[in-house]
Amino acid sequence: MQSINLHLKILIATLVALGVLITGYQIYVLDIPVTEDETDDIWSLDAKVEFRAVPGTPIKAQFFIPPLDQEYVSLNESFISNNYGVSINNQKGNRRVTWSSRRASGTQTLYYRLVLTKRYSEEQAKAAPPPTPQPVQLEGPEQVAADALINPIRQHSADIETFISETIRRVNDITDDNVKLLLAGGTSAMDKARVIDLLLSNARIPLELVHTIRLENTEAQTPELWLRSYNGERWLYFHPETGQQGIPDNRLVWWTGSDPLLALEGGRQANVTLTVSNSEMNALRLAKLTTQNSASALLEYSLYGLPLQSQRVYQVMIMIPVGVLVILILRNLIGMQTLGTFTPVLIALAFRETELGWGIALFTLITALGLSLRSYLEHLKLQMLPRLSVVLTFVVLVIAAISLFSHKLGLEKALAVSLFPMVILTMTIERLSITWEERGGAQSLKAAVGTLIAATLAHLLMTIPELTYFVFTFPAVLLILVAFMLAMGRYRGYRLTELMRFKALIKS
Amino acid sequence: MFFWKTWKALSDAGVMGINRRNADYVLKYNKRHLYPVVDDKILTKERAIAAGIHVPELYGIIETEKDFDKFDSIVANHRDFVIKPAQGAGGDGIIVIADRFEGMYKTVGGKIISRDEIGHHISSILSGLYSLGGHRDRVLIEYRVTPDQIFKSISYEGVPDIRIICLMGYPVMAMLRLPTRQSNGKANLHQGAIGVGVDLATGITLKGTWLNKIISKHPDTTNEVDGVQLPDWNGFMRLAASCYELSGLGYIGVDLVLDQDKGPLILELNARPGLNIQIANDAGLTTRAHIVERHLAQLKKEGREESVEERVAFSQKHFGKLPNAPMSSDEANAGTA
Repeated sequence: MQSINLHLKILIATLVALGVLITGYQIYVLDIPVTEDETDDIWSLDAKVEFRAVPGTPIKAQFFIPPLDQEYVSLNESFISNNYGVSINNQKGNRRVTWSSRRASGTQTLYYRLVLTKRYSEEQAKAAPPPTPQPVQLEGPEQVAADALINPIRQHSADIETFISETIRRVNDITDDNVKLLLAGGTSAMDKARVIDLLLSNARIPLELVHTIRLENTEAQTPELWLRSYNGERWLYFHPETGQQGIPDNRLVWWTGSDPLLALEGGRQANVTLTVSNSEMNALRLAKLTTQNSASALLEYSLYGLPLQSQRVYQVMIMIPVGVLVILILRNLIGMQTLGTFTPVLIALAFRETELGWGIALFTLITALGLSLRSYLEHLKLQMLPRLSVVLTFVVLVIAAISLFSHKLGLEKALAVSLFPMVILTMTIERLSITWEERGGAQSLKAAVGTLIAATLAHLLMTIPELTYFVFTFPAVLLILVAFMLAMGRYRGYRLTELMRFKALIKS
Repeated sequence: MFFWKTWKALSDAGVMGINRRNADYVLKYNKRHLYPVVDDKILTKERAIAAGIHVPELYGIIETEKDFDKFDSIVANHRDFVIKPAQGAGGDGIIVIADRFEGMYKTVGGKIISRDEIGHHISSILSGLYSLGGHRDRVLIEYRVTPDQIFKSISYEGVPDIRIICLMGYPVMAMLRLPTRQSNGKANLHQGAIGVGVDLATGITLKGTWLNKIISKHPDTTNEVDGVQLPDWNGFMRLAASCYELSGLGYIGVDLVLDQDKGPLILELNARPGLNIQIANDAGLTTRAHIVERHLAQLKKEGREESVEERVAFSQKHFGKLPNAPMSSDEANAGTA
């Protein structure tokens, strides 16, 4: 006995430890959300490219699209373009889609959509630092102007970071004649970036133009230009006009380099509209989507790996142990009487379809009708099997009749009664009527009410969405449940109802 | 708080709850494979006869519907008899025929039933209506016990029986079960029979329990149920104690009857005896079971086993409740300590 107890204790401890460890691993390491309500932002980026086709010439539209190696992960990417060939190529860390068509006429519209979300995992592909640039060869006055700018900048700076800031500050001072000359009349951010690049290349500092988009709910954005440089450790971002250092979190790199967003051949009046919209999504469904796309084995071996149809079945099935636990507690800790051991769980499952109020009403009605039939059959002195068959058939007929009437009355809910486990109902009726005859009405009512209460409680617990989600996502908690059940198997304390039963034994 | 106070009071009194009975006694001392011996009354009877223990005489067994043809020849020489399901529980499905009447049968309650009705009842039993698991059953037809006259004043119809709970062959508690009008002549407590505690040392009845309450009078006859000396008490104790060797089960309730002609007889054994016996005796089973378990551990250390007589003597010495058994209160206290 002693060794069995030890064995049991070790088993319980092992199960609890396993359950806690697996669940903890899922929550903390795999980062699976604990509640279903945890949502993540989803960004959908829409680009619309419109242009007029030049008749008689082939069309080739080259359009930058965001690289996928950033801290965002793509959930879905689509190109919508009628009669256009689509090809994507990677070049120098950029991705570029090429839409091509032999001939087209009139206004052409091409769509690109990318759905993104923040990356779950930490691993992140870093963009390769750009090579050290060769100084851009300048001539005459431009060379003089560049030198005139670089020398004071070099004096006022200590490292790459300060050198770049200083350059940006100087270039933005458009009253400076040297700057004016280099800008050659342009004052756009692009022009300034070009001059900054030029100056920095003379100082052999690599610089990359980064075109970003703001992840905000906005209509019609224009890409925002940022400059970045690699100081050997990390990327430094600068705003080419304000000199602001460090890029805000919500910026997504669309493409790098000085090429324009769209390069069009065979078309005129091109217009690009970028729209960003945001939606929220259940974090888990999101994790699932990311899994499919990034092939990480995050949820591959969980129940979410099942086809959707069977997932729904398992969501019900995996809650049965919880219902059984309710019965266990009601019977062994509280001492409530139920008809049969697991009958209440099966009735609770039927309640899923009928909803609680209806379920109880229908269960009571069918059982009452069945009981009256059973007591009538009692007079006929039938053998057990034929009698049970009669009751079962009667139950089926009653259920069919209820469904028919309720359908005529427009009560669609009652139709779900057909999902009541008929054999269970029949057995319940049989047991109830035997209890009635042998122990009297009071006893059998007690058992019937107990069964209904147990079924109701089990149903309520089994249908808490948070709990269903939790158990379905972290099935290892069932091991903890089993441990508790094992412990209950050796529980020797009184049942609650026994405190009443043995009250006469208390010496006052 | 009511809850904890009651809990504490009950556990101090050594009262056994269902969970403890199942975990510490039924599961521990009763090997599952031995259950058929007690669940099937025919098997019990065969074992008892082989061991030379007195049981009501078996008239015949009906195993199939076709066997019903044998019914007439089985009961041909007996005016009264009992029809029982072999694996019934709680006294359900038992018909007691007291007499014949114009080719019909008269039950002990005075109801006249036909041979066909008996046939229907037997076929219900065979189809498993009264058996524990609902599976097919056998019918046994046996000697009808005539209760000893001593019970006349404190019993209503039916046959009073004596339930003795034995742990490893040591009787630990006894109760006389008296049918009432409410129990329809059945001696089952949850059907309304009353249970009367019996002093193990002397066989003198104590107070009783009826529907979980403590009582001292029979509700139908209004006679005092306590202070009645049961005859041949040592015979009862010996019979009960010897059922351990008979069944191999360590924790059983032995149901005995006192026939006016044949003396103490064993009716049946129960592997999960009820707990209301504690209310009838106003004593806790756990306390007494612990005393026996300690004694067994002591014996094991000494490497010996006790005979039926020694076991009965041990129980009578330790579990007597009346004043002429002075050891009892000390031992009971020692048991809870």
